[in-house]
Amino acid sequence: MNKTIRVLIAKPGLDGHDRGALVISQALRDYGMEVIYTGLRQTPEQIAAAAVQEDVDAIGLSCLSGAHNELFPEVMRLLQEKGATDIIVVGGGVIPWEDIPFLESKGIQKVFTPGTPTIETAKFIEKAVLTRDGMKKAAEVAPERIDHIGIAVESLDSTLPFYVNVLGLTLEAIEEVPSQKVKVAFIKIGETRLELLEALSSESPIAQFIEKRGQGVHHVALGVTNIQERIDDMKANGIKMIHDAAVPGAGGAAVAFIHPSSTHKVLFELCEKTKKEEA
Amino acid sequence: MDKQQRLKNWQEKTEQSMNRFPERKERFHTSSDIEIKRLYGAEEEHYPMDSLGLPGEFPYTRGSQSTMYRARFWTMRQYAGFGSAEETNKRFRYLLDQGQTGLSVAFDLPTQIGYDSDHSMARGEVGKVGVAIDSLEDMEALLKDIPLDRVSTSMTINAPASVLLAMYIAVAEKQGIGADKLSGTIQNDILKEYIARGTYIFPPKPSMRLITDIFSYCQKHVPKWNTISISGYHIREAGANAAQELAFTIANGLAYVDAALHAGMDIDDFAPRLAFFFNAHNQFFEEVAKFRAARRMWAKLMKEEYGAKNPKSWQLRFHTQTGGSTLTAQQPDNNIVRVTTQALSAVLGGTQSLHTNSRDEALALPTEDSARIALRTQQILAHETGVADTVDPLAGSYYVEHLTDELERKANEYIEKINQMGGAVSAVEQGYMQREIHHTSYETQKKIENGQEIIVGMNKFTIENEPQPELLRVDPALGEKQKEKLHALKSRRDQNRVSAQLETLRTAAKGQENLMPIIVECVKSYCTIGEICGVLREEFGEYTGV
Repeated sequence: MNKTIRVLIAKPGLDGHDRGALVISQALRDYGMEVIYTGLRQTPEQIAAAAVQEDVDAIGLSCLSGAHNELFPEVMRLLQEKGATDIIVVGGGVIPWEDIPFLESKGIQKVFTPGTPTIETAKFIEKAVLTRDGMKKAAEVAPERIDHIGIAVESLDSTLPFYVNVLGLTLEAIEEVPSQKVKVAFIKIGETRLELLEALSSESPIAQFIEKRGQGVHHVALGVTNIQERIDDMKANGIKMIHDAAVPGAGGAAVAFIHPSSTHKVLFELCEKTKKEEA
Repeated sequence: MDKQQRLKNWQEKTEQSMNRFPERKERFHTSSDIEIKRLYGAEEEHYPMDSLGLPGEFPYTRGSQSTMYRARFWTMRQYAGFGSAEETNKRFRYLLDQGQTGLSVAFDLPTQIGYDSDHSMARGEVGKVGVAIDSLEDMEALLKDIPLDRVSTSMTINAPASVLLAMYIAVAEKQGIGADKLSGTIQNDILKEYIARGTYIFPPKPSMRLITDIFSYCQKHVPKWNTISISGYHIREAGANAAQELAFTIANGLAYVDAALHAGMDIDDFAPRLAFFFNAHNQFFEEVAKFRAARRMWAKLMKEEYGAKNPKSWQLRFHTQTGGSTLTAQQPDNNIVRVTTQALSAVLGGTQSLHTNSRDEALALPTEDSARIALRTQQILAHETGVADTVDPLAGSYYVEHLTDELERKANEYIEKINQMGGAVSAVEQGYMQREIHHTSYETQKKIENGQEIIVGMNKFTIENEPQPELLRVDPALGEKQKEKLHALKSRRDQNRVSAQLETLRTAAKGQENLMPIIVECVKSYCTIGEICGVLREEFGEYTGV
């Protein structure tokens, strides 16, 4: 996770305008990357060779002379020739919008036009490199919110008056979830919900839970995106999953439970709502 | 001399000169019929005569001529050039038809770095940022049907300035016009190339020799030519602030003066032909103050430090271009407004000539429509606003005078530091200016990104889904066409004469003699710019950066 990203900032062609190249070099360094700046007037051959020799993760090409349509694809071609197709290449400078699709079709991952904040470029490179390396940044894989707290109850009818009448919360819906053999009442509280769970049969996990431990807090559901990737991340980190693949949960969500033996005895659910649901 | 007496003398002298250079109108007045006087303030009891002087007199704070734009507007000089010589010739004739009063040639990068269009380094660059010139043949096409005795031409060319000037002289000769009739400017400012612009070829020492060779050749043969345009423009574009632009430009100017003196010239033989080139940036009053401070600083240095006797040696005359890097790719029409206020600061600062940028220059070379609006902007300032009807109208503003004094003070601190480092050449070699500029430029970028500095349309007042403007495209086949043209020339020309001239050049480069007359002979023999610079590269070596 603490990999230092190495970037080559290169000026292909003859133009001497390196204000942007120097600023982006410094900004990437301040962001924590290692940056090598080639200096002016580099041929595509020199750039590709330097990238391979320096073993960089990414190349930033800066061109303000209008020669980008010839020089950028040539850099890509040479990288391919050298078998260095894993290097992420981005571009910037005075580049008309209409040229961007062409450059992207040649393998340039992103072209940053004038006025792009340097932090955007830094984040883009970081994400591209980490994704390539199968490492995702903690902030992106972290759960985004507590989606809901699941509470096991013996009977919804006898429990709901406390939540609705005494606490004054709003009951949103009651729904049956056949896969878990439960009936669920959703009670909204801020951006999250309380989920009251009543067993529909004695084989329901809720029935087993109540039998073992009595009524009470059953699980905490963490809202995530790309649930299958998150499940894979967990497994890659040695975490035991109850569900190896997401199953349909209440409210149209895709859910998967993490085994409490891996979480210091708290039952966590990963929960991904569809976009429509969230809106 | 008593202040009142000095003013009286100035008035008499000015009246006399008006017999030769009359003002634009008999009488200047505002819309309410208030008469506009030529000059305000100088008759006042506490007028600071020493620091402001009178227009056209030492120390020139108020302007380099006595009547300034009441006699003649600044020269409207739009920088242009792209693609082939023929295409650029068409754009020049269009601009002259539209009322432009001087030419300004942009060369492509291979030309600026002394490579022919068929050189491997020229790949993708031919004709992109300016016109491609390989040989005299291209220069003939570029200047076809343009009367060189009646237009003044500015050429943005530095490392190979000798070669392009030689071609210009050779074309004029073919038109039957003597070199002594030619007027114009070559940029010829290598120090700022090392500092900021990047189109250098040779190391500093031989580069300085080429420059002083031009000074002395032009003094004898092309006396109306501005032999150098000492440029703060690119230093500012690279990210410097106003004080740094001012300081580094003047420090570079002093290095050229020192080099020419060292080469044995007399200061008054070359100083009158030194010209300057500044940027007009966003902060309006500071820019006006910068231009005024520049004139005063140079005048004092030339007169008091260098002992120049000819008042023309004291005068800092300058061209201005509005700041290219202030333009945004977002909402490009907003750039018209930026250019207008920048241009106004240059006019109120007393520029001799002006280029106004086109709105689309953050995206590509300007289209014809954009180039016309840019020229119209100057014409509106000149003909509609009345700002040119009195001399130095902001003089006496407490704020502007304070800024003028402070910029001079800050710039002098930098110059002092550069002097301690052994002058501008050695400061450049140590990377001093480059570091200072980079520091300022990075700080500016951070301020923009954290919102401390607002760029309208870019980090505030943005719009979604901007319409994309029409952009100028350079013919991608041009590189090939230019190569074919070059090969045809090479098979046609007298190869023995070419080889002989290049050998003469090589021998001369090894010695001390002035290279300019030899380069003129080379271009007349249709040696290419790549061949001429190639010989000099072999003899002088190449600069590779700090």
